[in-house]
Amino acid sequence: MTAAVRCTDVTKSYRDLRAVDGISFEVRQGEIFGIVGPNGAGKTTLLECIEGLRTRDTGVIEVFGMDPERQTREVRERTGVQLQSAALPTHITVAETLDLFASFYAAPADWRPLLPRLGLEDKRNTYVDKLSGGQRQRVFIALALINNPELVFLDELTTGLDPQSRLAIWDVIREIRDGGATVVLTTHFMEEAERLCDRVAIIDHGRVVALDTVPALIGSIAAESRITITVAGTPPLDRLRAVAGVVHAEQTGDQITVRGTGARLAQDVIGALAELDVPMRDLRTEQATLEDVFLALTGREMREGTSA
Amino acid sequence: MNAFSTIATVQAKRTLRDPAATFFMLAFAPMFAVAMGLIFGNDPLPEFGNRGYLDANLVSFAAIIVVISGLIVTPVDIITQRESGALRRFRATPLRPVVYIAADVVVRFVISLVSIALMIAIGTLAFGARPEGNLVGVLLAAALGILAFLAVGYALSAVIPSQGVALALGNVLVYPLIFLSGAAVPLSVLPDGVRRVAQFSPLTQMVQLLQGLWAGETWSEHWVPLVVLLGVLAVATAAAARFFRWE
Repeated sequence: MTAAVRCTDVTKSYRDLRAVDGISFEVRQGEIFGIVGPNGAGKTTLLECIEGLRTRDTGVIEVFGMDPERQTREVRERTGVQLQSAALPTHITVAETLDLFASFYAAPADWRPLLPRLGLEDKRNTYVDKLSGGQRQRVFIALALINNPELVFLDELTTGLDPQSRLAIWDVIREIRDGGATVVLTTHFMEEAERLCDRVAIIDHGRVVALDTVPALIGSIAAESRITITVAGTPPLDRLRAVAGVVHAEQTGDQITVRGTGARLAQDVIGALAELDVPMRDLRTEQATLEDVFLALTGREMREGTSA
Repeated sequence: MNAFSTIATVQAKRTLRDPAATFFMLAFAPMFAVAMGLIFGNDPLPEFGNRGYLDANLVSFAAIIVVISGLIVTPVDIITQRESGALRRFRATPLRPVVYIAADVVVRFVISLVSIALMIAIGTLAFGARPEGNLVGVLLAAALGILAFLAVGYALSAVIPSQGVALALGNVLVYPLIFLSGAAVPLSVLPDGVRRVAQFSPLTQMVQLLQGLWAGETWSEHWVPLVVLLGVLAVATAAAARFFRWE
């Protein structure tokens, strides 16, 4: 299968700052690919180079085998873009805005079915300047889909959305992928990357520090997960300590706490308890997250940004 | 619909839905004609060679909206859209810049021309102003003036950094230009020195072309303003094409 996007040794500097410092990766067709990292890591600069909105200094970028700086219009016809900072013309309605942008493409989609999926069905005739921040964000997502793109770029797509809209937008993004399109998104919101992305590139100081699926990235740092379960009785803890990956098991009152590593830990611990036929309730797991991966790889907290 | 007609429709709606833009671009000239007609009427006066006030001055009011539209409204709107990021969003589509600019210019042009035509209609029908020359020629000259000043507006938008600067510079340019053009104050009441300086203003040249054609003079008698306006149009268009930017 050919790559949707291929970057090779891409660099981009602003005066003294190397915003993108030699980045190479491939995005496969049909996947949701996340570019994650703290604010200022170079995510948006990289994405805008791929979109052809910024001129890279060196390196090669191919989108469906085309150079976005040279074959700009062909790339734009086949891709959809949601920019981190953008605005819309004032004094026009949502429907007029969508008609306007649809007219720019050779083969626009019918945008009407998009409105209910994005929770905008009763905003058709509202002026875009009267929308809330979250509603405007959803209009920008509709604009990114207005040409039935084969590849969609989303830059911090759920910024400013409430949790409920965020879940709805994630569903829309998955539907786009399930329909055969490729999605490249940036986020500094780790839960979004964990829940949505098939593969993730972690970017720091303009470099890729890790690239893999989320479970593989989390597995790679060998961080301990913690499982707590309320049980009836006192099952033999040795049976749990024998489970692969378990480092520690103890019981306090009716609560068992197990710590250990590995992607199959929770599954195997529950399996062991089920074999012992122990009644269980209130299962909780605390697992390592992409934030822990970032911390393990860079020695810094994600939220500190570039200040460290 | 294709991109050109869709953009033109959207730009027309945006202008007509914005009260300030509608007032300056569409209603100002007709209202100015009504006000001047009510104040001065159109009875023959010796200082206008036994023509009425409106006979002598009506067509020159066009210069006021041409220069306000071109040097204030257009740059402020374009720069506001550029600063907000709206133009940047267009850049992320296959839209060709020339299609956007052409549609935008056509809408601004048509609105200004309609406004000037309404102003002339009110002056002639309601207050009895009467052109000695051909009205088609007058409207052609107005059209050339509108295009020349729109091109200047686009060139200014390309080089001015922010909306605030556009507003300030627009006001600094527009009021002296109007004052020196003869559109608001007849040039005959100004001192000789000021009148000579005024001849260097393209707006003054436009007013003289309009007034000459209205009074029945020929284009060849007014080749200087014609050349000046065509020159402004050419230079400003070249500058706008060279320096226009989406962000």
